[in-house]
Amino acid sequence: MTQHCDDSVVLNQWHPLSSFNEIVVGQKHRTVLLGRSLFYQQTAQGELFVWSCDNVSFVLPTKRAYGFLWTSLGIPPDELFAVEEIDEPDRQNVATGVFGVNVSFGRAIENFLDMGHFPFVHTGILGEEPHTEVKEYDVDVSESRDEIMATRCRFYQPQASLASEAGADVDYIFRVPHTNCALLYKSSPGYEAEGRMDVIYMFLQPMGPEWTRAHTGMCVIDVANSYESIRYFQQIIFGQDKSILENQFPKRLPLDSRAETPIRADKSAIAYRRWLAKKGLTYGVIPSI
Amino acid sequence: MKVDLSQWHPVASSSDLPLRHVYQGQLWGHELAIWRADDGHVNVWENRCLHRGVRLSIGLNEGSELRCLYHGWRYANRTAGCTYIPAHPADAPARTVCNNTYQCIEKYGLVWSAVAPERSFETPVTLTDTAPLTLRAIPINAPSDLVQKFATDYPYGMVTHKSDTSMTLQSGASELQLFFQPVDSGKTIIRGLLIPQPVDPIVALRHHNAMMTALRDKIELAVSGLSPPRAIEVEFKPVAKDLAQMPNINTAGPKVEFRAKVAKKWITSQNVMAFRLEAFSEQFPTFQPGAHIDVSLPNGMLRQYSLTNGPGQTDHYTIGVKRDVASRGGSICLHDDVQEGDVIAISAPHNNFPLRRDAVKTILISGGIGITPLLSMAQALKAQELPFELHIFVQTKADLAFPEILQDLDALTKIYMGLSPRATRNVISGVLANYVAAQHVYICGPGVMLEAAREAATKCGWPDEAVHFEYFKNSKEIDDKTTFEIALSRSALTLQVPAGKTILQILRENGIEVPSSCEQGACGTCLMTVIGGEPDHQDVYLSTKEKASNQKIITCVSRSKSNQLVLDI
Amino acid sequence: MKLYDYELSGNCYKVRLFLSILGLNFDTKPIDFYPGREHKSKALLSLNPLGQLPIFEDSDAIFCGSDVILSYIAENYDKSGFWYPKKQRLSIDNWMRIADEITATASAARLHDTFFYDLDIDTARAGAHRLFRILDEHLWFSEKRGDDWLVETPFPTIADISCFPYVALSEEGGISRMDFPAIRRWCDRVKRIDGFITMPGIFPTSKAA
Repeated sequence: MTQHCDDSVVLNQWHPLSSFNEIVVGQKHRTVLLGRSLFYQQTAQGELFVWSCDNVSFVLPTKRAYGFLWTSLGIPPDELFAVEEIDEPDRQNVATGVFGVNVSFGRAIENFLDMGHFPFVHTGILGEEPHTEVKEYDVDVSESRDEIMATRCRFYQPQASLASEAGADVDYIFRVPHTNCALLYKSSPGYEAEGRMDVIYMFLQPMGPEWTRAHTGMCVIDVANSYESIRYFQQIIFGQDKSILENQFPKRLPLDSRAETPIRADKSAIAYRRWLAKKGLTYGVIPSI
Repeated sequence: MKVDLSQWHPVASSSDLPLRHVYQGQLWGHELAIWRADDGHVNVWENRCLHRGVRLSIGLNEGSELRCLYHGWRYANRTAGCTYIPAHPADAPARTVCNNTYQCIEKYGLVWSAVAPERSFETPVTLTDTAPLTLRAIPINAPSDLVQKFATDYPYGMVTHKSDTSMTLQSGASELQLFFQPVDSGKTIIRGLLIPQPVDPIVALRHHNAMMTALRDKIELAVSGLSPPRAIEVEFKPVAKDLAQMPNINTAGPKVEFRAKVAKKWITSQNVMAFRLEAFSEQFPTFQPGAHIDVSLPNGMLRQYSLTNGPGQTDHYTIGVKRDVASRGGSICLHDDVQEGDVIAISAPHNNFPLRRDAVKTILISGGIGITPLLSMAQALKAQELPFELHIFVQTKADLAFPEILQDLDALTKIYMGLSPRATRNVISGVLANYVAAQHVYICGPGVMLEAAREAATKCGWPDEAVHFEYFKNSKEIDDKTTFEIALSRSALTLQVPAGKTILQILRENGIEVPSSCEQGACGTCLMTVIGGEPDHQDVYLSTKEKASNQKIITCVSRSKSNQLVLDI
Repeated sequence: MKLYDYELSGNCYKVRLFLSILGLNFDTKPIDFYPGREHKSKALLSLNPLGQLPIFEDSDAIFCGSDVILSYIAENYDKSGFWYPKKQRLSIDNWMRIADEITATASAARLHDTFFYDLDIDTARAGAHRLFRILDEHLWFSEKRGDDWLVETPFPTIADISCFPYVALSEEGGISRMDFPAIRRWCDRVKRIDGFITMPGIFPTSKAA
């Protein structure tokens, strides 16, 4: 199941291990990252330790960001990608659960970016037939920030707001600032006029090339919805996607352009595959021929 | 164990394929999605939707189409061609978007297939024309050569025949035939046939089920200490180059690349002759509702006819041809000269009139022979239980074509006979009166009716994108006496268009590929973008708004008012 | 009627599914099973000391355990009498016992793979395989007799409701149903019961011909 990782692109990055909500102070926790078994622990004094199960002296760097413990098996950059909204004082940053999914992280990221499946997989929640059209949207790959942005995305959502029964087009922005992390921005209910957005994110921990631990969360201004209902909603969405993801073949994301048939709605996925190929990533993907 | 992908093996029992179900099979590590269409045909497809690789075995068998669970793409019975992509409801998917299929044959209560057959299926020598009892299939977690070795001790009778893939045991006058389906390197399914059918089938089924289960347990115990063999690595075939790229406009002109046999010719209504066209050996490509084919006639002419086929009817094309004495001779040739049994050349289906399936309601309005594409649409909408209305305008009852199809659509159809043009306009205005968002209307009929309907639609507040029409002909007289220049902005080329020649012809003469179909300014296939100059519109395809914008031109008939036109190619 | 419910729990889904099929209205109290572990809270332990879901409340009576709840609803609210017919009770109860075994194996595998529960995954999967082989054989021979359901009745019973969810979710625990074609056909039939609803991980099937 676990295979040794020698891909420097993923090794020299920060990866999430756990939400702090799930770390019991003083207890040794165990997980797997890029094929390697790791222990992690938070002391009563708040210190963080991550080390290899096979080799106690292999101690890994730690970082605390966005409510999660992050680590790296190589030499990571100084900073993690920025998520400005998280620092805003009137927001709730809610970890909505971590789930195992038996597929590569790349497939999970693409699923997160995809809108065309909303009426079929998240029926009655994020989409509904016959409103299946994915209207043309824009994709930009920023060289300077090294991230992918998909903007002007809109999709019909039944019961678009809590206030009305009617469905309407919802605007989305998707952002991929890291090979295995993605964020979705949508208008915060009640704050549309100010242009403030809620953030829904997925930080993936690649356990193996075809095995992923998905940390999910939201950073919302919302006070009307309690934590419970937000979390509930997120878990349903993930539960619905998981069974589709686990039925995709090959499990590793194929980067070759001739592996699968794209349509215009897949622009962001194609940009993501090209971006990974350009980085020279080999873990969890099938590189171009 | 030697892997031989050319071997034919049984991969399912007939009873594994009830209607509206998808069976998940596997042969030499290659996963299979096996399903029976409502017309009885058994499909064996690669278990992978070519969009994003999701298993088709978790897809939905809707009778004539298999629908992928992820994005709802629909694939037709027999051809595995994609008929609809919900994310882009206005586009007819490229007819070559096709899932990978395997040959199969259903015989003796089993479905047989091969991954890479070198020969067509040959009935195993041991099987004769009896109706055997198909036993319950038993999967065993062991390689097939090992399973065969153990099977020689199966308590039944003497082994009278053995091959790489099967074994026959004889007991008196009865025979047990065992077929060893190599699922993967470490899994085999034993499929047994009992010949002849025993007197009490249930007793025999239970007996052999118990015996084979015991055999399975014995074999699995024998391999329990060993580590399981490595699964066979399956190479996924790359997708065709043109499909691997973002979709482009199809740049091929009309090509009649198929030979079709006129299987049936019949009078379907006064003045309308119906033709059922069938392929010879190869399968006709998939069509979508609204599509037409180009038909090459014996008199040298090329004409377009809409397909009336309902969903899943992929083993033929049916067209209806109205006899038009005023025509250039195409319909007369088909009515009088083309006979049943004749072979004619046809193109693959083209679709400038694709059916969206995301409307809250679809209104179909037909006049005369314009019914043909709308019949295909109505049948598709009905099969999917999508709301629609079909309004048919004809002169008399005798003019109603394809009554057998109309019968099935009865409840959703309104027929208007012998109305004057004014009365027709009033009815259409009434039908289009209460536009609500996400309704769509499709209109096909004589030019005058189409103009009236388009006007009524605009008056009733229908946006242009919701109004779809197909002209069968352009009855306007083309004035081609002008001379002008065209500049091709992206190719840095300037060409002269003399009197008597069209923009389309000049482009083609200069090596530029432009798609076309009717070449009379009716279908819109040769549409191009104009970025400079003033077009002289002579077509019937563009709307008044589009013509006024001077940003589009139908290159087969339209010309230029200014000295130069700049085209965006 | 009130159901203390967790959307991703197959056992809670059994009750939601049955109530939908019977067309009954009820209140739902969503419980933060994960990550909040609310089912182990004092308040809920006072209702069910076992600390498990689903919990069902009706006219001040509390019921715990999906099979108990299904039997109670069937006995008191099923006007047709088809769902828990007296003649077949022993057989149905037996299948509900098997459903518990399926929970202990297939559902455990799912908890391990999806929620990172620490348990012996190989034993769980092997156990599920054994049960699925029994189930597939039983369903295959039932089909030969012309029966569509677990118990020899022309209509589905709570035996089918009880066994269905964790069978249908088995692949989330790495247990494929490819070797069990009779089970796969039975799943389609369950999905076609009038009033069928889905849960995350279970999708609807196409309409019958």
